[in-house]
Amino acid sequence: MSDQGTAPGTAIAVAGDAGGALVVSDGEAVVGEEFHHHPTPRQYVFIAVVLVVVTSIEIATSYLNTGHTNLIIVALFLMAALKFFLVAAWYMHMRTDQAFFRRVFVVGLVGAGVVYGIVMLVFSSTVLKS
Amino acid sequence: MAQTAVAPSEPAAPHAASAHQTNTGVSNNKLAIWVFLASESLFFGAFIATYFLYRGRDAQFLKGPSPSSLLNIPFTSVTSFVLLMSSLTMVLALAAIQRGDHRRFRIWILATALFGMTFIGGQVYEFTEFYREGLHLGTNLFGTTFFVLTGLHGAHVTIGIVWLLSLWGRSMQGNLGPEKHEAVEIAGLYWHFVDVVWIFIFTAVYLIPQH
Repeated sequence: MSDQGTAPGTAIAVAGDAGGALVVSDGEAVVGEEFHHHPTPRQYVFIAVVLVVVTSIEIATSYLNTGHTNLIIVALFLMAALKFFLVAAWYMHMRTDQAFFRRVFVVGLVGAGVVYGIVMLVFSSTVLKS
Repeated sequence: MAQTAVAPSEPAAPHAASAHQTNTGVSNNKLAIWVFLASESLFFGAFIATYFLYRGRDAQFLKGPSPSSLLNIPFTSVTSFVLLMSSLTMVLALAAIQRGDHRRFRIWILATALFGMTFIGGQVYEFTEFYREGLHLGTNLFGTTFFVLTGLHGAHVTIGIVWLLSLWGRSMQGNLGPEKHEAVEIAGLYWHFVDVVWIFIFTAVYLIPQH
């Protein structure tokens, strides 16, 4: 199986940032600084293997009985963040897609992080302990 | 590497199929799904934050079974693996439709839907078991936050399954050519988002040691 991508020499029309001309370079379509080709199926499978390995480590970590609960929680969230990054970057094509989409999504993520971070700080330190 | 300048009005390639027809320079459909997913981040963030806020708060006067006695990590790990693998089959379906390979597209999109159904089947089994053990929506704070958070995620997966099966049906009828691959890409973005949300729910609810 080969990735669809763009065949070398194929003419491409991509609207990047308003009306920019587009350059085709040996099958890789470039708009400004962005690459517009998807990973190959082989790369998709490799990412899946990494996801399975990280998930296995996560599950094993959750069974650790070290007494360092906070350390385990941090490790679990770091591994979850790594899996999120892999799926978003490779499977959702955030690595290669137009930066505008990435920015829209990141605004939502950062917004959620800030809003609920504040909510948790406020409620966990005042309302729930009173 | 020879480089060639190409006018923006020539035949389209992936990512560009409909983008060149808009005045923003990006595909309206893809912009819509990304804005929707950004709003969904806030939506699920609310329920995950609530789960953490109430986690263990009523431990000393907990009615009903405790979370640690209910949660079956090995079972949920298997269903989590299944959902992760559905993301792989989803991108393989997209790659297939982009190169016009309808047979493989149908196989991969159906596999994705089946993985999704397996995940939902596991969730239904889990909910049923919890109910039999005495944990209901209103039994305690854990019951409320657990059922609402995982139930809403399950509802999203169910919508995703219906969406995938509709794409499969369109392909069977010959209404989904390579030029319409953006429809598959958008469904894929939704499906992957549902997957990444589960990554955090799985960690928050199942893997973090319970009180």
